[in-house]
Amino acid sequence: MTRLEANHLSIRYEKEAIVDDLTIHIPEGKITTIIGPNGCGKSTILKTLARVMKASNGAVYLDGKSIHTQPTKQIAQKMAVLPQAPEAPSGLKVRELVAYGRHPHQKGFATLRKQDHDIIALALEQTGLKALAERSLETLSGGQRQRVWIAMALAQQTDLLLLDEPTTYLDLAHQLEVLQVLQHLNEQQGRTIVLVVHDINHAARFADHMVALREGAIVQAGAPEEVMCAQVLRDVFHIHADVVSDPRSGKPVCLSYDLLKHTDTRESQNVYPLGGKYGAG
Amino acid sequence: MKRTVWIYMAIVVLIFAVFLLSLQMGTMSIAPLDVWRTLMGDGTEQHTLVLFEFRLPRMVIALLVGAGLAVSGAILQSLSRNELADPGILGINAGAGLAVVLFIYFFQGSYTSLGETIFALPLFAFVGAITAAFLIYTLAWKKGVTPIRLVLVGIGLNAGFTAILIVFQLRMNPEDFMQATVWLNGDIWGTSWSHTLAVLPWMLLFIPLVIAQARTLNVMRLGDPSAVSLGVKVERNRRRLLILAVMLAGASVSVGGAISFLGLVAPHIARRLVGPRHQVMVPTAAMVGAFILLFADMVGRNLLSPSEIPVGIVVAVIGAPYFLYLLMKTP
Repeated sequence: MTRLEANHLSIRYEKEAIVDDLTIHIPEGKITTIIGPNGCGKSTILKTLARVMKASNGAVYLDGKSIHTQPTKQIAQKMAVLPQAPEAPSGLKVRELVAYGRHPHQKGFATLRKQDHDIIALALEQTGLKALAERSLETLSGGQRQRVWIAMALAQQTDLLLLDEPTTYLDLAHQLEVLQVLQHLNEQQGRTIVLVVHDINHAARFADHMVALREGAIVQAGAPEEVMCAQVLRDVFHIHADVVSDPRSGKPVCLSYDLLKHTDTRESQNVYPLGGKYGAG
Repeated sequence: MKRTVWIYMAIVVLIFAVFLLSLQMGTMSIAPLDVWRTLMGDGTEQHTLVLFEFRLPRMVIALLVGAGLAVSGAILQSLSRNELADPGILGINAGAGLAVVLFIYFFQGSYTSLGETIFALPLFAFVGAITAAFLIYTLAWKKGVTPIRLVLVGIGLNAGFTAILIVFQLRMNPEDFMQATVWLNGDIWGTSWSHTLAVLPWMLLFIPLVIAQARTLNVMRLGDPSAVSLGVKVERNRRRLLILAVMLAGASVSVGGAISFLGLVAPHIARRLVGPRHQVMVPTAAMVGAFILLFADMVGRNLLSPSEIPVGIVVAVIGAPYFLYLLMKTP
């Protein structure tokens, strides 16, 4: 079952087509990760699903209705979105930012009610930020700050959570920390989570469902084992990957990889539009 | 919360103190006791005239204009997510300035009585300010207005307006040139009760409207993607808030001249004092702005008495060192 889906989506920046005729379903109650090389349109697609960007053609459906026909405030009660590298004004306290997450549930001049305070406290607890609640955001580490933004999205109390590269700029431990918070939310509360992730091993490890993109089109979608395989990685990133099974999680892991040599490729004339490294930056 | 209440009270006390001090000081100083007697309706005719017809209306205008510019600056800084923004970026000062210079250049002579000028000038300034802002918004429009486009178009148009302004100013006779220069530096010259009454409704109406939008401003300060995610209609709210900023600054400029720096520095101080949440930041900025302008006006009237220093210059002289200090303190 899916509550969020997009049918025949075309998206343009200025005149350039980024995505053409894409149909995507987000399985409910699962973690979906979206992977793909730089410029493949994964953030663009997430932004369009989140109604931050408008599709030039096709539509995104939430609960069977096009998101552009629903009041944006109503959508905000069902779906929370964490943009890439969000920024808060200096001097804002952790609890204050998390309280902003109640915005779609507040009316007029209303101040926070007891119920709102409870929800904020819960969001702080779930993200392990209780002790930092009165701290100013700029005094926190990158990983802590990212958790504050997740807490704000949680305070929105939505079943759907969309996150655009929530682990970028974080070190290894902090990346895992953030992803585990999300996994926990999914397992304990059945929230549907959609993530754009750069690290394909993280994407596979935390996903129930993976979507691999190239040039705005889905190359493969399905269980991690179906997506994280040498053939798909080759088509998506143009790398030669050694995929093994992680003894800890049983999920596929890319052990090592190499750039394809031109002779390895069938389409050697047009496969390196971006050049350089895949998988990084 | 407690801290905020203390800060509110402290600023109110400061405003009150400067207000009392300012009543006594001027070309003709009036002893505190005489001020009291006069306020109670017991003063000499001369004291009554000076206090009620010259000082009081002017001080009330200083408070209103200070608050208006500060709130306008607070809105613009949050919408553009740029703490260097002030009403000037919307072309309000340059637009009003150009209108005033054109007015002085073309019409000054044709108005026979000074009385007409006194009321025609604010009207021209106001219309100039609104026109410039509208022009900038329209030119920045491209399927919506992004803050960065607004700032860039604002800078461009401001430069253009200022250039035209200088061309006309250089062709003026010396007295008109002086008058224009004083106006352009920010000078509370509309000092009658009718000016006060013309500005008062704007401030009483628009400042509370801005405070009512505090939650929206909070969320919009996080940037468009976050604001959309939290269910805010970004484009509509941006337009609504920009209109509020323009109205406040336009009304301020019409009686206070092109006072720069205040709209920049007052929100900064407010954020320092109470943090960036607009529910408390906007009222604080309004009070800080009112205080600064009241104080600057008092200094401007008395420092080189009997001649006056334009209040805008005093604000800049007080504000600039403070601003540098702020910059040096922030990492």
